[in-house]
Amino acid sequence: MVLDFLQSLADSEITGGLTLLSLLIGGLIMAVGVIVARIVRTLFTKYYAPKLSQDTAKNFGKLLYFGIIILAFLVFTSSTGVDLSGLVVAGGIFGIVIGFATQSVVSNLISGVFLMIEKPAKQGDSIELPDMNISGSLLDISTFSVRIRQFDGTIIRVPNESVFTANIRSLSSTTVRRVETVVGIAYKEDLDNAISVIRKEIHSSMPFVLSIPKPDFRIKELADSSVNIEILVWHPRDDWGEVSPKLLKVVKKALDDNGIEIPFPQRVIWDAKD
Amino acid sequence: MSNDPEKSNFSKYGVYTVNENLELILPETMVKFERIGENVFSYSREDSEGNLSEKIIPTLSNSLTIELSPIRPLNHPAKRTNYMYLDFTSPIFLSEFVSATIFVTCPIEIGIFIIHDGHKDSLDWFTCNPVDSRFGLYGTPELGTLCKYVQSDIVQSYDDSTPFINGVMKINLKNELESGKSVSKSVFPLSDYSLYYKNNLVIFDTANIILKKKALVESTDVSSLKIDTDWTAAPSYERIQPSKRLNMGVD
Repeated sequence: MVLDFLQSLADSEITGGLTLLSLLIGGLIMAVGVIVARIVRTLFTKYYAPKLSQDTAKNFGKLLYFGIIILAFLVFTSSTGVDLSGLVVAGGIFGIVIGFATQSVVSNLISGVFLMIEKPAKQGDSIELPDMNISGSLLDISTFSVRIRQFDGTIIRVPNESVFTANIRSLSSTTVRRVETVVGIAYKEDLDNAISVIRKEIHSSMPFVLSIPKPDFRIKELADSSVNIEILVWHPRDDWGEVSPKLLKVVKKALDDNGIEIPFPQRVIWDAKD
Repeated sequence: MSNDPEKSNFSKYGVYTVNENLELILPETMVKFERIGENVFSYSREDSEGNLSEKIIPTLSNSLTIELSPIRPLNHPAKRTNYMYLDFTSPIFLSEFVSATIFVTCPIEIGIFIIHDGHKDSLDWFTCNPVDSRFGLYGTPELGTLCKYVQSDIVQSYDDSTPFINGVMKINLKNELESGKSVSKSVFPLSDYSLYYKNNLVIFDTANIILKKKALVESTDVSSLKIDTDWTAAPSYERIQPSKRLNMGVD
């Protein structure tokens, strides 16, 4: 009975030699292909991926999965006897049309491939795209876009093409980072004394500021109302939040506690009649 | 609370059994255990700035056994590195082919451990000298190694540590180079060094520093040497992770 059923499927031709039976066999091949692809991906994820970096493992997993499915599709087409030559010709013309229509999609795809090869940053790195005013932790580089978790907790998706052509500033490639700030003190104040009290306050109340290299103090400008001192301190790269937002507060406290004036802009206006 | 760590009214390192209440007085810090119910104790720690840390500890028995112990100074203000950078207040000059032994101070932190069923669980840690618990970078900002940094005094013997603030490390120095050199610092993975305590004094394993030529480059080789002592070995607070030794240059 089963044989009769299969014979009836083999006899029922859909088009150009393609029968229902060959379509069924092709479907089975595709199903087996998908199952094999999933098993291979699972085994790869379990046994080999932990030894690779997250990015490489993810991309290699995708390559294996889709590679096996494409292979299954080729087996399917050859087993069913589907002639793809017409499709190739049509595909050429269609490809040109689609190429124009999906220029940005292809551009993002190719940029994604180059980003994966170049690896300007790896998953989990803190990066900044200064041109786009985006900074945060890199979540992943996928086929068409890059996802970044910004420091405010939101996730932003940036097209691969934009990332590939943008300046990328890595915030976590070195062990330490530097923070700079500028404070102005009155012209009448003793500069060395001011620097000394700021240095002491930073040492006593900012545990994440590095002792070596020492905090650096530079006279930035003899400005209209004040002598501006630039303060440069180093900190462990992950502790920016413990240093940068607090530095000016600590500097102001040091100056206030020691009676050192932070002047506000003043302008002397002479009346022409005087 | 006294600010002078030399005063003898501070608590001692060691194992304590808490049945009702226990107060431990340390420089700038007060630790209290109190029974608050059947098989339940409370723990609180207050430092000189009024920062309070509290925990509730349910127990299986009616008493609580704890250990007050020195630990490696790697946790305050946050665990970021396994390396220690001792910057000697006075550099040591070694003539060619000369050996010497010195004792230097090295900071410590304090750990509180709960002892049960034969093992020790970390309950809390703190430092009695937060102002001098700082980081430093050995090397350049691009390639350097982040370390805990301290200015280290050269002292006479193992008895010269400051209770609850620092311990003493013996350093064997050897100059195998053909010219005299100064040694002004030592950078090493502190996780290779164990701590030992007796009363309120703390000592570390010994460090061997050898100035030698490696492939025509003068370098400083620092390695640890276990000491044989009857002092009590301090438990480890942090998980020990292997850290490679640094290739230090010569001053």
